[in-house]
Formats: sequence, structure tokens, C-alpha cells
Amino acid sequence: MGDLLSWLFSFFLLVAVLEHYNCNYLLQLMCLADLEYDYVNPYDSASRINRVVVPEFALQGALCFLHLVTGHWLMFLICLPYLYYNIKVYTDRCHLVDVTEIFNQLPWDKKVRLYKLGYLVILLAFSIFWMVWSIVDE
Amino acid sequence: MQYGQSKGGGSSPARSLIRKRSFVTMGTEYPNRPTFPSRPAATPFGVPQSTTPFQSSRPVVGSDASAFRPAPPTSSPAMSSSGPMVGPGISTFRPMPPGTNDAGRPPPTATPPYGPTVSDPFPRFPSPQFPSTAQVPPPRTSMPGQPVVAAPVRPVSGPFSTPPGAHYPQIQPPTVPMGSPPQGANTMQPSPHVHQGPMQSQFTAARATTQPSSPLAGSAYPAARPGFQSGFPGYISQQPSGFAQAPPRQSVPFPSQPGGYVPPVPAASSPYLSQQGGFAPPPPLTSQRPGSMPPTSAMQGLVEDFSSFSIGSVPGSFDSGLDSKVLPRPIDVDLERNVLSEMYPMNCSSRFLRLTTSGIPNSQSLASRWHLSLGAVVCPLAEAPDGEEVPVVNFAPTGIIRCRRCRTYVNPYVTFTDSGRKWRCNICALLNEVPGEYFAHLDASGRRVDLDQRPELTKGSVEFIAPAEYMVRPPMPPLYFFLIDVSLTAVRSGMLEVLAQTIKNSLDSLPGFPRTQIGFITYDSTSSLTQPQMMVMSDLEDVFVPLPDDLLVNLSESRTVVDAFLDSLPSMFQDNVNVESAFGPALKTAFMVMNQLGGKLLIFQSSLPSLGVGRLKLRGDDLRVYGTDKEHTLRVPEDPFYKQMAADFTKYQIAVNVYAFSDKYTDIATIGTLAKYTGGQVYYYPSFQASIHKDRLRHELTRDLTREIAWESVMRIRCGKGVRFTTYHGNFMLRSTDLIALPAVDCDKAYAMQLSLEETLLTSQTVFFQIALLVSWNTFLTIKRYTSSSGERRIRVHTAAAPVVSDLGEMYRLSDTGAIISLFTRLAIEKTLTSKLEEARNSIQLRIVKALREYRNLHAVQHRVAGRMIYPESLKYLPLYGLALCKTTALRGGYADAQLDERCAAGYTMMALPVKRLLKLLYPKLIRIDEYLLKKPSSPEESKDILKGVPLTSESLDPQGLYLYDDGFRFVIWFGRMLSPNMIQSLLGENFAADFSKVSLQELDNEMSRELMGLLKRQRENDRSYYQLCHLVRQGLDSASTPTSPAKCIKVMTRFLYVQSFMVYRVPIPVEVGTCCHLQLWMVYSMSKSFHGRNLLLVLIDTIDCCAYLNFLVTLVEELIFSPHVGIISYTWTSHALRCGSRKIVLVLSAAPFAWGEQHERNAN
Repeated sequence: MGDLLSWLFSFFLLVAVLEHYNCNYLLQLMCLADLEYDYVNPYDSASRINRVVVPEFALQGALCFLHLVTGHWLMFLICLPYLYYNIKVYTDRCHLVDVTEIFNQLPWDKKVRLYKLGYLVILLAFSIFWMVWSIVDE
Repeated sequence: MQYGQSKGGGSSPARSLIRKRSFVTMGTEYPNRPTFPSRPAATPFGVPQSTTPFQSSRPVVGSDASAFRPAPPTSSPAMSSSGPMVGPGISTFRPMPPGTNDAGRPPPTATPPYGPTVSDPFPRFPSPQFPSTAQVPPPRTSMPGQPVVAAPVRPVSGPFSTPPGAHYPQIQPPTVPMGSPPQGANTMQPSPHVHQGPMQSQFTAARATTQPSSPLAGSAYPAARPGFQSGFPGYISQQPSGFAQAPPRQSVPFPSQPGGYVPPVPAASSPYLSQQGGFAPPPPLTSQRPGSMPPTSAMQGLVEDFSSFSIGSVPGSFDSGLDSKVLPRPIDVDLERNVLSEMYPMNCSSRFLRLTTSGIPNSQSLASRWHLSLGAVVCPLAEAPDGEEVPVVNFAPTGIIRCRRCRTYVNPYVTFTDSGRKWRCNICALLNEVPGEYFAHLDASGRRVDLDQRPELTKGSVEFIAPAEYMVRPPMPPLYFFLIDVSLTAVRSGMLEVLAQTIKNSLDSLPGFPRTQIGFITYDSTSSLTQPQMMVMSDLEDVFVPLPDDLLVNLSESRTVVDAFLDSLPSMFQDNVNVESAFGPALKTAFMVMNQLGGKLLIFQSSLPSLGVGRLKLRGDDLRVYGTDKEHTLRVPEDPFYKQMAADFTKYQIAVNVYAFSDKYTDIATIGTLAKYTGGQVYYYPSFQASIHKDRLRHELTRDLTREIAWESVMRIRCGKGVRFTTYHGNFMLRSTDLIALPAVDCDKAYAMQLSLEETLLTSQTVFFQIALLVSWNTFLTIKRYTSSSGERRIRVHTAAAPVVSDLGEMYRLSDTGAIISLFTRLAIEKTLTSKLEEARNSIQLRIVKALREYRNLHAVQHRVAGRMIYPESLKYLPLYGLALCKTTALRGGYADAQLDERCAAGYTMMALPVKRLLKLLYPKLIRIDEYLLKKPSSPEESKDILKGVPLTSESLDPQGLYLYDDGFRFVIWFGRMLSPNMIQSLLGENFAADFSKVSLQELDNEMSRELMGLLKRQRENDRSYYQLCHLVRQGLDSASTPTSPAKCIKVMTRFLYVQSFMVYRVPIPVEVGTCCHLQLWMVYSMSKSFHGRNLLLVLIDTIDCCAYLNFLVTLVEELIFSPHVGIISYTWTSHALRCGSRKIVLVLSAAPFAWGEQHERNAN
């Protein structure tokens, strides 16, 4: 039962992250695309994107931690590269979009965000699977 | 050209070989570049020493071979080797490259059998590079014109050179006697070598004798010969002749030769290659000059040979043995190419827009073979000479005419149709209506009848007066805001005083007279807002500006207050002992004050920001970091605060100029970002001392304050369908993908950008570019005054067209070295922010090598000149500039070669430099001035003649001379060791015995001193954007003579002046020689991989003080040793060269000597 609960919780957390993506992360992508087509100026775009970067990192960290404490090693390991990437970017202090260089970084930023999105979708699929599995198991 | 008749000629090679212990140096020859006519240096005669040894007569071939050598043997040594004779009919002679030792040119004595054309090769040089095809002489005759022939170095041929250290004396039995039957009498063909420089010629001669392959050669072109016997002398000729005539000799020369030189001749290789390595085979019948390539024959390009070898004299002897004069040098040459202005006369001037290549590739596959970056350098406000000012057009009633779809401005390339009622946009091809007021009838040829009254339809550059819809807000009054550091160092150095004085003097000429606003903030550990009344802010965390409006005053209304303030400024802080600097808070304050109006912020910073937000750490210049992956972190801004501030400044139309004065580390890398992203500039005065640098600061600040500035600008470049600008490089911030925001822009700023093709195939014939710069002029002093005092919004539009080409050769022909180098500079500097210096330098070289290799492939396949470096006329200076670029302050060396701040400041400066100034920085001007001072020429022409530029090599520095070195940023006056003491005394007064580094030049009361100061003044007037401070250097005393340790030596030198880098890098190794050797070695090495290296390298390098270079050589040699493709015959350097006692390294490298031996045997069998 505890297992189920923890899965449920991690599921919601993931959904929260994804939600974050949906509302913010996709928004980041949209911002970048808009920027490319000149619908928005770089100042607004950068500040909008930067506002959601740290919360996203925190949520992802929390998710990892949850997997760790609930003993879902596999999921934890799957999360690990993502976490590592985030930490590295954060410690290099390049997690925020640089408004002065935003146009040069645009292609790279878009790519990174797309990959992250894909990664999260896979994670979500896994956790749904585990959740269903544990329900059935009950 | 003349031909030597003597049969004895065969001997010449031998002798030449013998001569002295020779070492080979690489030189570049430009055998046939017609373009060079001007180079005087090139003449063979210039080098006296070399001449004598070589004279050997050429074997004569043709029946009546007239004597060709025009010059007496002695006079033209070079000739000797070269002069093969040609049969009467021989049209083929290629004239030698003017620069190289053409014996032929000098004395016209011999003009025998040939058609007039033949006899005198030289005339062609003067001819324009791109002669119309018509110029091509009739088939046979045409040959002479071609420069193609001589490749100075044949990689293949020389069997033997052995360096003194290791000899491989080889004597080859001449396998085949020369005259091949078919050739008959003609066999003795004129040797192609003619072109070669004296040194080179020697080689060739040697080779000729030795080469076994000669028979082949003869056969190879059988067809040609019968027809023109000598028609292709270049190819074949020498060797055969050599053999036939002087077989015995062959053996002789070799043993004697010191320089190891080994050209293996691969049997398999076609005769051409092996023997003539150097030559480009002429196209069968007609050939044109290189410059002129008609699309049909790609040949011409071949003419230019890149590498050549030459033999020099004894190591250790005074003559360097390297004829550095044959190297191409951009002296007194205007690199601006006007190819396009002929093709498209309505293009804007190349001052405003230069493309790296004016031939736009028509497909992506073609573009991918162009390694020099497609791109452009734009200098939108370049100063135009009198009479060529950009016309101003007012469309007031109609509004500005633009294309509905792509928003292109009307320009000379639009076409009017439908009897003038419609116009077709040249960029997007959309048909637009012509507004009624703008309508004009078309005449019979389809031109508008009012064409001559419409500058926008005839001129590539115009300015439109912008109506209200182009303004977000009315033009703001010009605002100058000064942010002045008044901490201890600033006061001590005297900076404050000079500053206050200069600003005060410039107040009258500040632009925008009645409306100009001005304000000051001084800061140390607190910021003070000083005007009109002084407020001290001690809360650095949360700055609060009490009365923003009162901190700015209108200059004309409050002039007295400002004057009083500036007068009291130095004394106000006289006793300041505060060493802290609250730069960040002061910056924020300035932002709060300025953000209403925008304007120009001038920052005078003399210490590291140490308090409040934006405080910076002493990152220091850590030796250990160099060479590691972290190296670049030193050069990137540390604190995001500054980038954020820069972005905000741009947003509010504030441009920042940074003046930095500290003698200690001030983190220019970080502070400079303020200027970088606001379209500003960084001025760096290391260790500012008012007594020394006063003039420079005064001049540059005055110029900064008073030059015409375009405010609140944005710039966009449009170009035709299928092409797109992708990246932009320079000091600015991008507001959207293709919109450059420039809060303030002036004539000293240039921007580079790169192009890419969006479509795989371009269908149009022409691509158009249009630069539009929307600006506010406040400054139009002359025109402005009577229109209004409120400023005016205008759009400056430059339009240019470039042809689309389908041929890579054409792209090379239309390329522009200046633009390429400018773009490379910016790319390389940006690269130093993400990777090591080393990598940045390598990337430049790699691109150049790739490009030249591509070019070689382009032609080598057809003409089988494998293994030689060839390059197009238009890029002849590219390797030189590429190498010079690697040696500029921003990119050179490592830790010890430039201080970090200096490096970063140079980087910021170079990012903004216009092409011309950048080229001057890379290849400074060196002129000899003692003669001028003594003679006091009366007429300008005469003085111009005396003050001709000389090559930047140690050889051109005569110890008895006085030289002026000018790179646009500083002057160095170089006193030769043996310069007459009288002259020194009259120039320096009683300081003549003092340490020159501490002496500053002043006008003394005598003729000579006045003359010198006058000269300096005139030189400065040529280039007014910077002030060239004068440094004095005495030969031997201040630089090279005190080498306690090389590292220290270099440090001392680079510290003192930049010149010293000139001394370090450029003098000991004659610059180009050094640089070219470097590059050539590198190129040869990189080529050797694909070429199964039959390269011969024999390099002599003078290594005084050039440790960096030495390292390179050591690495190179090591690499070569282990390379499977290249063998090394021998390389030696004296151990004390390494210890820095002496100066020469002899390197003898050669490819695959043993393989050569085998082949030779095979041939024999």
C-alpha cells in the first residue's frame, strides 16, 4: 500500500513537472520560437524563461529524492542523468538564459528543451507503468 | 626573357648547389603574378650575394637559340639557372614573375626570336589583372604572357641535398639523356625556372641535372612541341637540357651541397610533376594571366605558387640567404577591391560593405567547398571623402517607397514597368504600385525620365529622411554622462586632471548644441552625484536617486556650473586616499538617471570594482590555467550583473564607452561587456601616467566626444531570396534575429556577419544586399543648424549586388582578403571566449589551409600539379594576414605574451575595427625616416617617394637607419645601433643617452626635430580615430641584448611596448619569412599527408628570443619524424641555439629519401 502511495505521489510530482513543462516549459519553447520569428523581444522572453528555470530544477530534484527514499532504485537511476545535467548547468551558472547572447544560443536552447521534454515523457510512462503494476499487484 | 646560349649552362646547377653551405629556406614565390609589378624588392639584383655563385649559363636549346640572358651573367644570377633557351618559335616562355628574379626583365637586351610579346614579359604585369579575353594573344604567342610557369620549388626533383649534418650525397646516373627524339632541337627548352628567385633557381638547376625522369618529360608533351617546339618549355625543358649538356656535373654538385635536399622523384609521377613541380602547365594554347581567369581556363590560377624553396647562404653568415623580397607583402597596396564596382557601378562603395567573396555560390554543395566563410563586413557610417557624401533624399509627401512584402527600400536595382506605374522589387520580385507623386514616365529604354534627379535610383548609398512613423519617440537630446573613478590610483596617476581639462575643452564642440545634456557621477567607496550640487550616497545596496532630473543639466544653460565643477574636480579629490571602488552601485545610479533619455555613458575606471553589487574578484592571470580547458574562463565575464546591465543599457538606448587606466588587473573582460553589448568601445591605457599618456587620452576622448554620432540606431540587412544572414559579430546587441541594436554608432565601428544559403540551389543570377540603418542625427552640425535643432530621424540605405556563380574558381577570383580577415578576426576572438587561444589560432590556420587545399585540388586535378601550394591572386596576402592575426595581442602566445587585460581590451577593440584599420594593425607600416629628415624634401611627391614603406623584416632594418613603425595605434621609432649620434642628439636633446623607454619625444629647437614632429603629425592625421603614442626603441639596447632568460626577455619586451612584440616575433625572424615559414611548414606538413610527401624543406631560422616559435618547430619536427609519409633527412640545431646564445636553427627535412632511391633504381632498370 505504501508502495502505491509513493508511486502515486511520484506520479503527481511528475505530472507537476510536466505541467510545469506544459505551462512553462512549453512556454519556454514557445518563447524561443517567438523570439526567432520576432514576435517578442529578447528582454521579455529571457525574463519569462528565467523565471521558471529554478523551480523546474527544484521539482526535478525533489522527484529524484522521492524515488531515492522510497527505494525505487531503477527510477532513481533513470532520473539521475537528468539531475546531473541540471546540477552541472546550475553550478556552471549557465542555467539562465543570457539575454545578450540569446540569439546565438537559440538553436542549442531549443534542442536542450526538446530533449528534456522527451525525457520527461518517458519518465512519466515508466511511472504510470509502475503505478499500474503496483495497483495490480495489490 | 633572355636565354642563355652557352652550353656551359649545365654547369650552373652544379655550381649553384655548391655554393656555400647552403640551407634552404622557404620563400614564396610569385612567379607570375602580374599584379606585383610594383615590388621593387623582388628583383634579383637586390640580393647581391647570391648572384655570383649562380651564374651558369643555360644550355641552349633552340637551333639558333639566341642568347637569352639579357643581363650579364653577373648581374642576374638568378637568371643563370633559369635561362633555358628556347627555339625560335618558342612562344611559350612564361615571363617570370616580376617579383622574382626575373632576369629577363631588366635588360631588354635580349629580345630575340620571339615575338615582341615574348621578349618582354614584363609589360604584361602592368596590365590589369582581369584583362579581357581579347587581350589574350594568339595562341602561340600567348604563352609568353603567362606567368604560370615557374614554380620555384619542385618538391620532387632534387635528389640530394644533404644538410651539412647529414649528407646523402647521391649521384644519380642520369638515366636518360635529354633530348628526346621528337623534340629534336627544341629539346632544350627554355627552362621554366626562369621565374625563380635566385636561390630557387639554384635548386632547380641542380635538380634538373639530377633528374632521371627527363625522358619522360620530353615525351609527355610531344604533341605540343612539334607544334611549338618550345611551346611549353616550362614543363619539360630544364631537366632535359641539364642532362644532355652536363651529365658529368651532376655528380659533382651534390656532394658539395650542404643543404640537404632531397627530392625523390617518383618514377611514376608524370614528368611534369616531378620536374617542374613548380610549374603550372599552361593550357594548351592560350593562357591568360592568373588574374584574368576566363571561366574556360582555370589555369591562370595556377600561376601562383605558394611554396618555393630557395637556397641561401651559409648559416651564420650575414646574409640570411632567404630572399625575403620575393614574398608578397601588402606594402603601399590598397586592398580594397573594386571588382564589383565595375560590374555593378551602382553598388555602394566598398567602404560601407565588403563581402568575403563577391561571387555568391549557387548551391549548397558549392558553398560547402568554400572554406573562407561567406559573409560581409559592414561599416555603415564610414567616413566618405569630400565630394562623395551620401545624398539625402526627402520623400515627404509620398512617404518612403518600400516594397510591400519584404520592406526593401527603393534602390537603383529596382525596375520600373507598366510605363512607370509599377516597380518590381529586386529582392523579392514583388510588383509594387508607384505612388502618384512618385510617378514618372519611362523613356524608350525603360529608364525613368527623371532618373538623374533621383539619387536613390542611381546611387548605392542614400539617406532618407524618416517621417514620424519611423520614430518611437522624437529624437532625444544628446546626453553625455560621465562616471568617474576618483579613488587613489586615479588621483595619483593624474588621470583626473587630464580628464577634467579635456572635457572642459570639448564642451564647445559637443554635438547637438542647444539641447545637449550633461551629468557627472564620481565614485570611490561611495558614489557622489555631482551636479549641479554634490550629493553623497553611502548606501550602496539600495541606491536612491533623489532628484533624477536635477542630476542632468542642459549644457548651454548651466555652462558656468559645469565649468566650475570641472575646474574643481581634480582638487576636490586631491587628498583622497580611498582605494575602494563602488563601481556597480555607481553604474546603477547612472542607469537610473539616464534611462529617460538614453545617451552616452563614459566610464573612467582605474581600479577593480570592489564594493557593492558587481564587485569583482581578483581572478588574476593564472599561469597554470593556460593550456587547460578552463583557460577561456579568464576571458569571459565573471559576474552576470554586467551583462544584465549592458542589456538594460541597450534597451534604454544608452551606449557605454569604457576607459580603463589601471596598472593592475581590472578585469576588462567583465567590464568590457558593458561596451560590447551597447555598441561602445573599450579604451585601455595600461599603467596610465599623465606625463606619458596625456596626449593620447586627450585626443581619444576628444574624438569620442565630438565625432558625429548617430543615436538610437537599429540596423538590418536584407538580402535576396535563398540567402540569409545567420550570425552577427561585433560590438552590439541583437534585438531580434536580424536586427542589430546600436544605441550610438559612429564612423569607427564595423560589424561582420555570416551568410548561409537557405535553398539548395539558387536560381537567380544576382543576389542583392541592402543595409538599412535607422538613426537619429543630432550632430549634423552643418546641415542641421538651419533645419531644426531638435534632431532628425533618417534611414541610411546601402545597396549592393553580387553575382551568383557556379564555379568555385570564380568565387576565389572575387574574394576579398580584407573582408575575410576581418571576419576571421571576429570569429577567432569569439572563439577565445569558449576555448583555448591555441584552438582559436588553429582554427584560422586550418581554414586557410583548407581553402588553399581546395583551390589546389580545383586546379591540380586538371593540370597535375600535385603537391604544390597554389593560390589565387586575390588571396595572395591571406596567409600573411592570417599569421599576423595569430600574433596580435588578442590571440598570440599564452600566459607570458600579453597581460590578460591587454588581451581582452585588444579583443574588444578589434571586434569593432573597420577593415582598413584592422589590416594596418595586422601588417603595420614601416618607413625609413632618417633620409627624409636629412634631405627635407620640398615637394610632397618627393617626400612621398622617400617615405615608402619597407617590408617588416629584420633585413629591412638597417643599423644606420631611423625607422618609424605605425600600426594605427602606436608609433615606434626605432633607432639603429649605428645611427649617427648627431641625429640622435638633435632629436632627443640631452636625453640621448638615457633609457629610451623612459624618454618621451618632444619638439626641440632644431630643424630636424621639428621635421620629425611634423612628420608624426601628418601621419597621425591620416588616421584620426586613435592617437598614436610614440615609443622609442634603440636597436640592441632595449630589446635583444639583455637576454638573461628568454622568458624574462619576452616579458620585458611585451610589457614595454607592443613593438616589442614586433621585436620578438618579427625582427629576429624576418617577419614574413617567419610567418610564411611557419605557415608553409604547416601547410606542407598537412599536405604531406595526402601527398605522400615528397616535400623538401630546408629551413633556417634565426631564433633570437623566439621561444614560442622554437617550440613550434620542435613539435613540428617531432611530428614529422613520426609521420609515416615524411622522412627527415636531417635536422640539426645547435644546442646553444636552444640556450639562446646563438641564433640559427637549421632544419632539413625531406620526404622519403629512401623511396626516392628505390624509384631511381627502378628507373635505371
